[in-house]
Amino acid sequence: MQDSQDTLRDAVEDAFRGAAGHRQPSFDRLWRKAEQKHRNSRRRYRWFAGTAATAAAVVIALSLQTPADQDAYIEIAELLESTYWSAPSDVLLPDREFDIYQDLPVLFESTEPAEGALL
Amino acid sequence: MRDSDALENNPHVSRSALEAIHGQVYGWALSRCDFDHATAEDLMQQAYVELLSGSARFDNKSTLKTFVFAVVQNLARSRFRRVSSRLRLVKQYAEESVTDAVEPAANDEVWRAVRALPARQRDIIELVFCRELTVEQAAAVMGVATGTGRVHYDRAKKALRSRLQDWAEET
Repeated sequence: MQDSQDTLRDAVEDAFRGAAGHRQPSFDRLWRKAEQKHRNSRRRYRWFAGTAATAAAVVIALSLQTPADQDAYIEIAELLESTYWSAPSDVLLPDREFDIYQDLPVLFESTEPAEGALL
Repeated sequence: MRDSDALENNPHVSRSALEAIHGQVYGWALSRCDFDHATAEDLMQQAYVELLSGSARFDNKSTLKTFVFAVVQNLARSRFRRVSSRLRLVKQYAEESVTDAVEPAANDEVWRAVRALPARQRDIIELVFCRELTVEQAAAVMGVATGTGRVHYDRAKKALRSRLQDWAEET
């Protein structure tokens, strides 16, 4: 049984050896090529990583940068100049900021009775 | 323990250990790509790059040989999956058939019997008979359970014996 197994093994081994032929690349050559490829990809990776880090740093720096003379509080005058609020009813007025109370009637205190009550 | 020529990103792998198994790994790579030497060299080179970069990291859980064989197997699988999907596209748009890979020169009866085996049986026979792995190691390389590996191995041997016996009776 073992003999038959060994015979089969030898025959299969020979068949594979025949199919593969005698050409076999040297380890050194393939290893050198692999090292070169590895070095190149590492260099490329470093370049990409460096560029990305620099770009990120620039973006962060620009976004954090504030003008030195800028005040930290809001100027009311600037705010009023830059904003305008109008109520919906304003469109009914003849002019902007029209003083609707300009012609207030002057009421005088009445001293005359009228129908049993003071006016 | 770290060898003096251990790889930077793979401390359990040394250059000399890889050199010692180079011939057998090359034979395995060669059969992965239908005995096309250029593709096999490419596969080997890629496997070495994976080891150098640490993408394929050996953690001493198996033998280095089993590990490197599995790396080659996985690289070949992913490469030929890409190639076969491209070939399908080509076939879809061109009516002419795409020629198969080059058949090796060896055409004796044993070789024909081996080639006639299903892929997994052929692989395990190659790993055990020609690459000197145990059935357990071969199953690990192929990514199947040891029991499954044994079944493939036994069936392959039976099929080979039967074919060679038929051939002997004919001649």
